[in-house]
Amino acid sequence: MSVATGRTARVPVMGGWLGTLTSTDHKRMGLTLGVCSLFFFLLGGVFALLMRTQLAQSNMHFVSDNSYNELFTMHGSTMIYLFVTPMAIAMALYLVPLQIGATRVSAPRLCLAGLWTWICGGLVMQQGWFASGGAGRAGWSSYAPQSNGINTPGVGMDLWVIGVILAAAGMLVMGGCVVATIARRRAAGMSVLRMPVFTWTALVSMLMVVAAFPMLVLVMILLYIDRHGGHIFAGFAGAIDYQDLFWFFGHPVVYVMFFPYLGAAAEAIAVSAHKRWFGYVAFVASMMMFAALSMAVWSHHMYVTGGVTNQYFAFTSTLLLVPAGIEYFDMIGTLIGGSIVLRTSMLFGLTFFIQFLIGGFSGIFVASPVLDYHAYGTYIVVAHFHYTLFAGSIFGFFAGVYHWFPKVTGALLREGLGKLQLALMAVGTNLTFFPMFFLGNDGMPRRVSRYPTHPGWGTLNMLETIGAGIIALGVLVFVINVWTSLRRRVPAGNDPWLGHTLEWATTSPPPPLNFEAPLPPIRSYAPLLDLREEAIDRARERAEVTAGG
Amino acid sequence: MRGGAIPILTWGTILLVLAVGNWVWNGKAVGSGAASAAVLIVYTFGAAVWLARREAIRRGPPRRRTEDEAVPQASVAAMVIGLSAGCALFGLAWAKFLLYFGIAMFVLGVGRLIVERRAERATRRQVLGEEERR
Repeated sequence: MSVATGRTARVPVMGGWLGTLTSTDHKRMGLTLGVCSLFFFLLGGVFALLMRTQLAQSNMHFVSDNSYNELFTMHGSTMIYLFVTPMAIAMALYLVPLQIGATRVSAPRLCLAGLWTWICGGLVMQQGWFASGGAGRAGWSSYAPQSNGINTPGVGMDLWVIGVILAAAGMLVMGGCVVATIARRRAAGMSVLRMPVFTWTALVSMLMVVAAFPMLVLVMILLYIDRHGGHIFAGFAGAIDYQDLFWFFGHPVVYVMFFPYLGAAAEAIAVSAHKRWFGYVAFVASMMMFAALSMAVWSHHMYVTGGVTNQYFAFTSTLLLVPAGIEYFDMIGTLIGGSIVLRTSMLFGLTFFIQFLIGGFSGIFVASPVLDYHAYGTYIVVAHFHYTLFAGSIFGFFAGVYHWFPKVTGALLREGLGKLQLALMAVGTNLTFFPMFFLGNDGMPRRVSRYPTHPGWGTLNMLETIGAGIIALGVLVFVINVWTSLRRRVPAGNDPWLGHTLEWATTSPPPPLNFEAPLPPIRSYAPLLDLREEAIDRARERAEVTAGG
Repeated sequence: MRGGAIPILTWGTILLVLAVGNWVWNGKAVGSGAASAAVLIVYTFGAAVWLARREAIRRGPPRRRTEDEAVPQASVAAMVIGLSAGCALFGLAWAKFLLYFGIAMFVLGVGRLIVERRAERATRRQVLGEEERR
C-alpha cells in the first residue's frame, strides 16, 4: 500500500505470480486480460481451422455434424466474448489512464474482481468441451427456442450460458471502471476536448458496454431459467423477444469490437504521418453519434422474422454511414500533407481502414430489408461480419500492438517480420472471406457442416481453407516476432515514434504510478506534438533574430 | 474531474432521443423497454459522477488534484470475490457443492476486503502523520 498525495510517488511493486494475479495496477490488469484474450484468440483460431478443414471439400466427414455445431458456436463465442471485446477493454485499461495523465484506474479492486470474473467465464465456457453431450452448440447468439432445454439439452450448453454471464459481467465491471477513470481522474489541463483520439474511442465503447451488456447478462439469466423449465421464451412471441433482447446487446458489441481498434489505427496513422489527427472535433461528435446510433439499429438482424418495424431500423442503420464517412474523411485528411513513414503500425492502420470499408459496403446490403431477405442466412452475412469483425478489428488491433509494444515492454518489434505478417494476413483474410460473398449470393447457407457438390462451390471453399491457413501462418509470424523481440531486445527508449500523447512522456514500460516526472502542459489532444512544435517555433525565431542581427 | 459527467450525460441524451424515436416508430414493449433501460443506466452513471463532485458538470479542464489518497497495489480480496462468482455459478451447472463453496469464498473475500480497507486507511493515516511531523 502507498499513498499518493496529489503528486506521483515511487511505489514498491509486489513481484512473482501472486503479485501479477492480484495486482490492482491498471497496466498489469490490462496485460493479464490481454494475454488471456490472446490465448483465447489462438483457441478460437484452432476452432476456425477445424471448421475450414471440414468445409474444404463437399460432403467431407472430418468432424461430425454435432461437433461442427459445437465448433462454430465455440469459435464465435470465444472470439466475441473472450477475445475481440475483452482485448478492446484490455487496451483501454492499459492505455487510457496513461493517455489522460492519471496515476491509476478508478475502483481498482472492482476492476480486478471483474477481471477474475471474466477469466472464470472463459474457463467455464470452455469446460463444455469436457461435458457429456459436448460444448454449447446453438450458435454464439443461441436463439430461443433452439437453445432451450429440449432442443439443446446437456450440461455443455448450461456451461456456455453461465460462461457468457460471467464473461459479460466481468467486462461490464471493467468497462465501468474505464468510464469512471476518464470521468474522474484526468490530469490537470486535460479537458474532455483535449483527450486523445484513442481515449475517445475507448470512452464511447465502454459507455456502450455499460449500457448494453446488462441486457446480455439479463437475457442469459432468462435463458438459463428457460432451459430449466421456466418457459420464458415460449412460442413465436418468445422467440422474437429473445432476439430483441439479445440483439440489443449483440449489435452494439460489434462497435465495442471496432471503436478502440479504430482509435489505435488512428493514433498509429497520425503519429506515423507526423501530423495531428485531422478534424478532431468532428471526429469526437461522430464517435458520439456513431455509438448512439449503433444502440438503435439492433433489429436489422431480425428483418426476416416479420416481428419488427423494418423501416425504422433500415433508416437508423443507413444513418451509420454518416459518422463512418467522417472517420474516413478524417483519416484521409490526416494523411494529406503528412510526412509519412510506412512503419508496420501505419501499414496495419491503413489496411484496417481498407478492409473495414469492404465490411462497411457489404453492411449497406444487409441493412436494407429488401437485400437482406436475399442475404439472410447465407455466407454473405458470414463474409460481411468477418470483414468488419476480423478484418476490421484485427488489423486495428495489430496497428495498436506495433504502435504501443515498445511502450509496454521497452523493446521494439521487428519491422521486417511485422511487414511479412501484414502481407500474410492481408492475403489470407481476403482469400478466406471474399469468396464467401460469391458463395452466399449463390445461396450457400451458413452453419452447415456439409454442402452438396455444386459447380464452383468446391473451388471457392478450398480457396477459403487455404486462406485460413495463411492467416494462421501470419499469426505464427507474429508469435515468432514477439518471442524474438523479447529474447533479443532492441531497446525502444521512451518515445521511439515521436508520439503525440502523454503515454510517450513516461518511461517504457511505465512505472507503477505511471509518471515519475511532472507532466508536460496539456493544451490540446496532442500535448507532446505541441511541445515539439513550440520548440521548432522558438528555434526558428532565434534563427531569424540571428539572421536579422 | 471537471467536465467528467458531460460526455456521459450528452451521450445519454442522444440515446434518449433515439429511444423516443424507437418508441414512436417501432412501439414494441421489449425494444422500447431495453432502450429506456439503457438510457436510465447511462443517466444514472452520469448522475453518480455528478453527485460525487459537482464540478463534473462544469466545462473546462480539471484542476490539479490536491487531496491525499491511498493507492492499493494488490488485492487478494478482489481476486477471491471474482473467483467466487465463477465458482458459485459453475456449481449451478455441474457440481452443487461448488455453489456453496463459491458462496463461502465470497464471504471470505468480503471479510478480506474489510481487512484491506482498514489497512489502507491505517497506512494513509501513518504516512500523512509522518509527513506532518516532517
